[in-house]
Amino acid sequence: MQGFPVNRRRVLGMALAAPAILGAKARAAGVIQMISHRYPALEHFAEKMRGAIPGVAVNTQLMPVDKAMELATIALSSKSDTPDIVWASDTTFQNFVKNGWFRPLDDLWAKFRDEFKLDDYPDAVLAPYRHEGRLYVLPHTVNTMMFFYRSDLFAKAGKTPPKTISEYRDLAKSFHSPMRAGTISCLKPVDAAVNEAHWYLNALGDGWFDKDWHPAFNTPKSVAAIEVLKDVTRYAQQGFTTAANDECTIALQQDTASMGLQWATRAKSMDDPAKSRIVNLIEWVPPPQGHARIAGDGYAISAYSKQDPETLFRIIATSSSQASMRQAAALLIPPRKSLLDDPELAKANRFYPAALASYETGMRAPSLPEFNAIGEFVTRRILQGVTGELSVKQALDTAAAETETFLKGHGYYK
Amino acid sequence: MTALSPRRRGPFHRQRGAWWLFLLPSGVVLTGVMLFPLGYAFWLSLHNYDLGSGSRDFIGLGNYAELLGDERFWNTLLRTVAIVMTAVSLEFCLGLMVAYGLYRLTFGVRVLNLLMFLPNIVTPVVAALFLRWIFIGRWGLVSGLLISWGIFPPDFLGDPVWARVTVVLADAWQFTPFMILVLYAGLNTVDQSQIEAAQIDGAGVWTLLFHIMLPSIRPLIVFVLAIRLMDAFRFFDTLYVLTAGGPGTATETITLYTYALAFRLLQVGKACALGVLTLVCVAMLVAVMIRVVYRREKGAF
Repeated sequence: MQGFPVNRRRVLGMALAAPAILGAKARAAGVIQMISHRYPALEHFAEKMRGAIPGVAVNTQLMPVDKAMELATIALSSKSDTPDIVWASDTTFQNFVKNGWFRPLDDLWAKFRDEFKLDDYPDAVLAPYRHEGRLYVLPHTVNTMMFFYRSDLFAKAGKTPPKTISEYRDLAKSFHSPMRAGTISCLKPVDAAVNEAHWYLNALGDGWFDKDWHPAFNTPKSVAAIEVLKDVTRYAQQGFTTAANDECTIALQQDTASMGLQWATRAKSMDDPAKSRIVNLIEWVPPPQGHARIAGDGYAISAYSKQDPETLFRIIATSSSQASMRQAAALLIPPRKSLLDDPELAKANRFYPAALASYETGMRAPSLPEFNAIGEFVTRRILQGVTGELSVKQALDTAAAETETFLKGHGYYK
Repeated sequence: MTALSPRRRGPFHRQRGAWWLFLLPSGVVLTGVMLFPLGYAFWLSLHNYDLGSGSRDFIGLGNYAELLGDERFWNTLLRTVAIVMTAVSLEFCLGLMVAYGLYRLTFGVRVLNLLMFLPNIVTPVVAALFLRWIFIGRWGLVSGLLISWGIFPPDFLGDPVWARVTVVLADAWQFTPFMILVLYAGLNTVDQSQIEAAQIDGAGVWTLLFHIMLPSIRPLIVFVLAIRLMDAFRFFDTLYVLTAGGPGTATETITLYTYALAFRLLQVGKACALGVLTLVCVAMLVAVMIRVVYRREKGAF
């Protein structure tokens, strides 16, 4: 038998090559990294991902939405092979896809269609996650903003839920007192302020953009809409300019506000005696005049991941299986038909009827990859208008000029 | 004085060579973690590097010209200077008073020093979250206390003036202990014979402080103020959590603008240019401060 000749040069060569070889293998079979926004429903899905495949370790990093996006942007823009799985919403995924940071899922979707009953997803839920005909995100939630109101206060005052924003403003005024605000208002830049402005701009104004992506948020109707928003904030809780969903939810739970717009995923916590002083006192209806924001969460696979795509898809799909979504049904609106039509779930979660009705009248954010970036300076200007640093018209005109410049720099308006 | 023979000069020269060897590790680390990133940031600042559009064209000083003509840059810069100056002045005055108090204290100094230093070792984001729950409107700790005493609280984070005050207080709460520690250590280095001589001449407590002790620790004062100025200019975590720059733009500082450029608008080149401009501003501010403190002493620094 010819032996393996061992000499000094060969040993040195092996020593140098070993870390690279072992490192590559260790990375391929190593811990799968996931980055996500955090709220109770997504915490549930993260837990399911960690236990999705026995023997496959998944490290789930959950953090506030801004931080999650920041981390994902830094990693993916530098073509890092981590994270492997990235949280995405209907507004954030577009920019990532445009930059080539996400892997299309169509082949994996076709392969695992039967195993994970993927036909259970309605087309309307998948459509926002397609770019140039290809699917990039596996949806986990459907979310919609609903109108939360205190049934006891309304009954005592002989009032009914508002049908128009004008009625809403009058009710906010009538319920407002130093100890309990007339309404919640969540205007923390950027995401919370975008959500609230979205409702006013679409219900009363001309929306965000025209069909050629020119700003429509500074038309006379839109300026009037933001003036109404400003007027309503006179009856909002203290610190509304720095309040996001958490602060607004707590304001309702702690009986320091009477009503307002909030996400359906926050509804169940109103009845949690460990967190809420108003158990069973909140009711929900669709937002007056509709057009409030609808959105959703899901997970995508990084285009730079070195992990096996089938393993990654299996982890994501396991976390969004029917069984997993049924367990989390109190925390979200499940995007699967079988669960949406389930009378048992509707009975167990009394906010479902209002959530589904809100979804019918709601509106998604513009399908513009740059919308998140534009939100930064538009909400900044809107807040300048609301707090009186600028007039609303001046603020929106300035924001429109900034938007035109920004989009022009990104190849629009040729 | 006789010249050293080549034989005697040899080891000395060899020793001088060895000094460089000792400096090498720290030099390599500094180059790796400070000079290279700084140089790379400067290089990126000369490009229209936009993660959103994928462009990365060399534009020379274009980003700098754009920023210098940008109203938001000047507004955030002025606001930053105002917040930093107020916060650092407050921290210095409070720090000096407490340090002098500790200096004159005859017992319990160590325990008090340790307790007062606690806010400084809390992670800024965690500290900011504490402070947010303390100052948040209506159900925050301060508001709750005021309401229980029958006083309706102001909107600490929602009113522009109160928001600025809260931000300054938050910074002072966290960084005054650093001032106390350094100044207290400095006061303890003052020559006892000078103090005793002044006391024999009838100097009181305040005369001792302002005419003997403070002039003696002037280099330390410059050092601590320079460190805090540089640090406060980078003030981000607390602001981001407490007010996110609001209400409106009342507390929007230059670091928040840099963050928005880099991570919201994805304009990395412009964000790097803003970072370099911030560095220049801080360097100028520190140079001015040193010049003011040492205006009568040529070549002090």
